[in-house]
Amino acid sequence: MRLTEDFIGNLRKSIDSVTTGANSPKGILEHLDKIGMECYVTEKGGLAVKYWQIFPGFVSEEHAAVIRANRSSQAEGSRMDWLSENLQSIQERYAGQWIAIGNNEIVASAPTLPELLTLIDDIDKPFITFIPTEPPIWTFTYGIKRF
Amino acid sequence: MVSKDFDHTVKFHEVTDPGGNIIAQFPIVETTLIGPTGQRRNLPLLFDTGASVTTLIHSLYPLLGLHSWDEGIAEQTGTANKRITVYRYMIDLELFGKVIRCPVHLSQGLEANPIFMGLLGRDTIFNEFGFGFWESTHELFVTANP
Repeated sequence: MRLTEDFIGNLRKSIDSVTTGANSPKGILEHLDKIGMECYVTEKGGLAVKYWQIFPGFVSEEHAAVIRANRSSQAEGSRMDWLSENLQSIQERYAGQWIAIGNNEIVASAPTLPELLTLIDDIDKPFITFIPTEPPIWTFTYGIKRF
Repeated sequence: MVSKDFDHTVKFHEVTDPGGNIIAQFPIVETTLIGPTGQRRNLPLLFDTGASVTTLIHSLYPLLGLHSWDEGIAEQTGTANKRITVYRYMIDLELFGKVIRCPVHLSQGLEANPIFMGLLGRDTIFNEFGFGFWESTHELFVTANP
C-alpha cells in the first residue's frame, strides 16, 4: 500500500486536534490521565503526550497478519515488562487473585478464572496471570544464583 | 558457515528481590491461546527446551472450554523427582504472528507463578519455528520461517 499525502495530512490533523473540556493545566492533566494518555510536564514547562490512535482500514487483515509477523508491537510486548517491573506491588495487592493486564494497568481481577473471564469478555487478547499467595520459588533452569 | 536470519527477539525477563537485585531471568513468550469459540487470551509461557510438550497449569482449563481439567487423554509424564498424570488436549496457539495447532498438557505438577502460566515445549513448536540462544545478551532469537 502507498501512503498518500491525504492520509498523512489527516493523521497530522488528528494528532493536532486533541481537545479537552478542561480549562486549566491541572484539568488537562487529569483529563489525559482519565482517557489513558501517557504524559508528563517537561522541565521547561512543556506538555509531553504519548498516545495510541487507531486508523481503521490501514491495511487488510491478511496484510496485517504479514506485517505483525515481522514487526513487533511495542504496546503488546510491554505488558510482560510491566508485570515483571511491578511484580512486588502487584503481589502485595492481588495475592490469591487472577488478574488481566491491559496497557500497563490491571484491567480486572477476580478470585477465580471463570469470574475473571466474565469481566474481560469484551477485551481483545487480555494478558492473564495468577498471583499466588505464597512467594514463588525460582528454581527453573534459567534462574541465576545471586542471593 | 551457515547463516540464519531471525525476525523476532525474546528478551529474558528479570525477577528482582525487594532490594532490586536480580534473582532470576526467564525467556518468556507472550502466547495467545485461541479458545473453542475463537476467544483469544494471552498467557506468559516460559520457553523451556527441557519440556517435550507445552504444559499449562491445570487451573487454566476454562480457557480451553472445559468443565474440569481432567477431561482429556490421561498420560504419565516425568517431573524432576516423580511421575505424575497429566491430561492431553489439542489447541490453537498464536505466537510470533503464526497460528499453530499443537498438543498441550494440563498439569497439577506446575507451581502457580505470576511470571509464567506454563511451559512452551518442543512438540510442534520446534517444527514451526527456528530458535537461536544468545546467552551472553540474555536474548532468544526466533524465526517463523525456519
